[in-house]
Amino acid sequence: MSAIPADPNVTADSATPRTETNYLNADWSIKSWLLTGDHKRIGILYLVTVSFFFFLGSIAAGLIRYELTAPAGFILESETYNKVFSAHGIIMVFLFLIVAIPAILGNFLLPLMIGARDMAFPRLNLLSWYLFMIGGACIMGGMINGGVDSGWTFYVPYSSMYANSNVTMVLTGIFIAGFSSITTGINFIVTTHKMRAPGMTWFRLPLMVWALYATGVVIILGTPVVAVTLLCIIFERVFHLPIFSAELGGDPVLFQHLFWFYSHPAVYIMILPAFGVQSELIANFARKRVFGYHLIAFSTLAIAGLGFLVWGHHMFISSESMYQGVVFSLISFLVAIPSAIKVFNWTATLYKGNIRLQTPMIYALGFIGLFTIGGLTGLFLGCLGTDVHLTNTYFIVAHFHYVMVGGAVTAFLGGLHYWWPKMTGRLYPESIAKWNAVLVFIGFNLTFFPQFIVGFMGMPRRYHYYYFAPEFQPYHIMSTLGSTVLALSFIIPGLYLTRSLTKGAKASANPWGAHGLEWETSSPPPTSNFLQIPVVLDEVYDFDPVTEHEQDKAAQALEVPSYLSNEAKSIESEKEKR
Amino acid sequence: MAAIASDHGHGHGHDEALHHQFEDMEQQNDSYIVGMWTFLVTEVMFFGALFLIYTLYRSMYQMDFFLAHEALNVQMGMINTFVLLFSSFTVAMSVRYAQLQKKWGVLSMLAITQVCAGAFMVVKYFEYQEKFGHHLYPGPGFGSHPEYLHGATPNFAQLYFGLYFGMTGLHGLHVLIGMIVIGYLMAKWWRNSPMVTKDYIPTELVGLYWHFVDLVWIFLFPLMYLMPKP
Amino acid sequence: MASTPLSSDSKHGGHSHVLSVPLLLGNMLWLMFLLIVTWWASTQNFGNVIINNVVAMLIATVKAVFVIWIFMGVMHASKLAKIWVVTGFGVLFLMFGILGDYATRQYEPVSGWETNVPNNGGSAFPREWPPQKKPEQVGENFRPRG
Repeated sequence: MSAIPADPNVTADSATPRTETNYLNADWSIKSWLLTGDHKRIGILYLVTVSFFFFLGSIAAGLIRYELTAPAGFILESETYNKVFSAHGIIMVFLFLIVAIPAILGNFLLPLMIGARDMAFPRLNLLSWYLFMIGGACIMGGMINGGVDSGWTFYVPYSSMYANSNVTMVLTGIFIAGFSSITTGINFIVTTHKMRAPGMTWFRLPLMVWALYATGVVIILGTPVVAVTLLCIIFERVFHLPIFSAELGGDPVLFQHLFWFYSHPAVYIMILPAFGVQSELIANFARKRVFGYHLIAFSTLAIAGLGFLVWGHHMFISSESMYQGVVFSLISFLVAIPSAIKVFNWTATLYKGNIRLQTPMIYALGFIGLFTIGGLTGLFLGCLGTDVHLTNTYFIVAHFHYVMVGGAVTAFLGGLHYWWPKMTGRLYPESIAKWNAVLVFIGFNLTFFPQFIVGFMGMPRRYHYYYFAPEFQPYHIMSTLGSTVLALSFIIPGLYLTRSLTKGAKASANPWGAHGLEWETSSPPPTSNFLQIPVVLDEVYDFDPVTEHEQDKAAQALEVPSYLSNEAKSIESEKEKR
Repeated sequence: MAAIASDHGHGHGHDEALHHQFEDMEQQNDSYIVGMWTFLVTEVMFFGALFLIYTLYRSMYQMDFFLAHEALNVQMGMINTFVLLFSSFTVAMSVRYAQLQKKWGVLSMLAITQVCAGAFMVVKYFEYQEKFGHHLYPGPGFGSHPEYLHGATPNFAQLYFGLYFGMTGLHGLHVLIGMIVIGYLMAKWWRNSPMVTKDYIPTELVGLYWHFVDLVWIFLFPLMYLMPKP
Repeated sequence: MASTPLSSDSKHGGHSHVLSVPLLLGNMLWLMFLLIVTWWASTQNFGNVIINNVVAMLIATVKAVFVIWIFMGVMHASKLAKIWVVTGFGVLFLMFGILGDYATRQYEPVSGWETNVPNNGGSAFPREWPPQKKPEQVGENFRPRG
């Protein structure tokens, strides 16, 4: 192909990947990073910035937790507390969860997984990062310059009329960040449709790609709605255009409808890519083809579709029509079916699998348990009667943190560890990482399980004190203790992963012996991903259980880590192929 | 999985317009068309939410919306609709000329489109100016000249004009963006950039966008200007 | 590169279909005719305001279909592009399901909710639909945050 000249430094010998020019060392200048069209570099840019926002959001979370250790609160004023929990919600939702897995892992992996040279629209991809940065800057600017106290949901009329905080600027930031997510979604969809390598049929796609495709669909159908809804608040605040103003006859409940028409699907923007990561981890560390590949793929699409039919379950107590409430409740229960299909299929994949308890797998196993708890408690909230009791309590806070942190963040960490050798070409210290994965699990449960109990007892969310019920204090102290453990377990990977960039052992092309096109190129990959576009001839997750078992036995006999034996095996098989 | 060399050369001869991530022009053109349509889907949803709000409020306050809408000038709306329909035609013609690689055909058609877009904005300017002059802009001074409300309840008329300015304003913004993009495209054609002359897709994409702007107006015009008396 | 086995949708996209001038010109004239019909329909009384609205929207939809089908080239576009067009408008209709909330509020069997009092049930809207009586004018005629 003439448009991209073959790099003379790149040799075709995949057994010596370490001296190759790759996407990281091809050009060291800052300009080459900031003007890059390379999806891998954009993924890294996202990783750096999103980690920063995650850090800020976590600080806000810590402040909330420490405030609540005493029934009367002890470090924050009530208004500051409002701003802190709003900051936590806005940063974590719009600047971390929605971008984390799609924009970091998705950007990095999608073209690699389908055997393409790049995303369909590399410049649009770069634009998406810049839009994200501008949006993030607006949001941070608004928060520093006075803060915003309306919560991440921006319910009118508070946000449009009464809030004296910096709502307009933060909304502008979210609006711009929304376009960043739309451009990413368009890229995912077109790339999946049009850029697949020869032989990469739809049912040979890794489940991660299915998940990213479904995410893209949800993004492009949902995001514009919230964009225009938030724009209406901006119009109302800046240009006095009354759209939702109740005092003129408008309907604030309509805002909630439109807001949740996006923001419920947005939950699936956060969790669907996590499902994708989860499927990859389970298949590759149980050394088995995912049980019910087609069902998982279709359940991904089903969740994306049903996600657009359940927005009203956020509004059971918002004067929504009872009949629509019943319908939404029923459809919300239906979402449990594809979710359960996934959980059961992952579990069934483990059965008679050759399970390797390496770090990503520990995260993946944790994910199954935590997501199941989060999903099942969601049924309580989707039920019209119990929701009246539980809504706006800490029960709901615990529920969505089980799904969002226990699900999406756990999968993100698992995926980050799994693809870290591919992204950086370095191995991280396995033993620390393993113990840290366990620590995440413990810290997480310690933080959020007490919140289920205290929420069921009646602790309202968004309160900065509970002097009316001091008996809640033990649960809050447990929760704060857990959040400290959790914070520690988020700092540790940051340290050892950063350290591994220079001190880590070099990774081979396929350190896990994993299956997938991304493991067929060197680690880190060259700028054009593949020296030659691969032709896909075999099925996805095509593990042979017998040889996997024998190989694992041999590895145990030799007392070498199994990933090293995999490496040896993969090099051997490469030689055989030649 | 075996990595087998695929045919990496391509004999289409469109090298200058082909981007590195694509294998051939067919893949590239398909990708751009699909990408543009997915973008237009987001635009449909973007305006769709506004149409939803409008539908609800109008069905709620039919009489007041009807009375308030009498302040609009139907002639001006008609002129604008004609102008936009005509510009849609000229853009479609420019795409045709781009496919036939006729530079001056494209440039002249795009120039007419720009004139139409400018005319649309000028008419819009006079319409807005009239509304501002009649104190029909929502806010503290709204309805201080009640004769222009035509008997509508001021609060609900304010809702109507809020939606009017919001929706036509966003539409006007899209027209402005379209003018900028068409201007950029014209500059590319003027300079014989291979990006446009070897490949009709950029012109086609701009055309799709412009037709969408027209599409929104096709619904906005009867909804805003031509209300039946309830 | 050989196109992927399943992507039958790539069959057409690569070749440009040049639309003829009479087709484009005819389409424009047809649209302008429909515009005049729109205006004419708005001056008529078809017996009911709902019928009038439906007629106006039907004409607009016909116009939109002609713009999409001919001007936007969906006529010759790939299957994939067609799917996206349909998806976009399909989800848009789905979103209009929001109106179902307002349409069903009046049937709620809770005593007292059927009374026509504005602002009941926490909403600015009455729970009766379509409203039998205009809600009381609420608030002052200016934005408090002016």
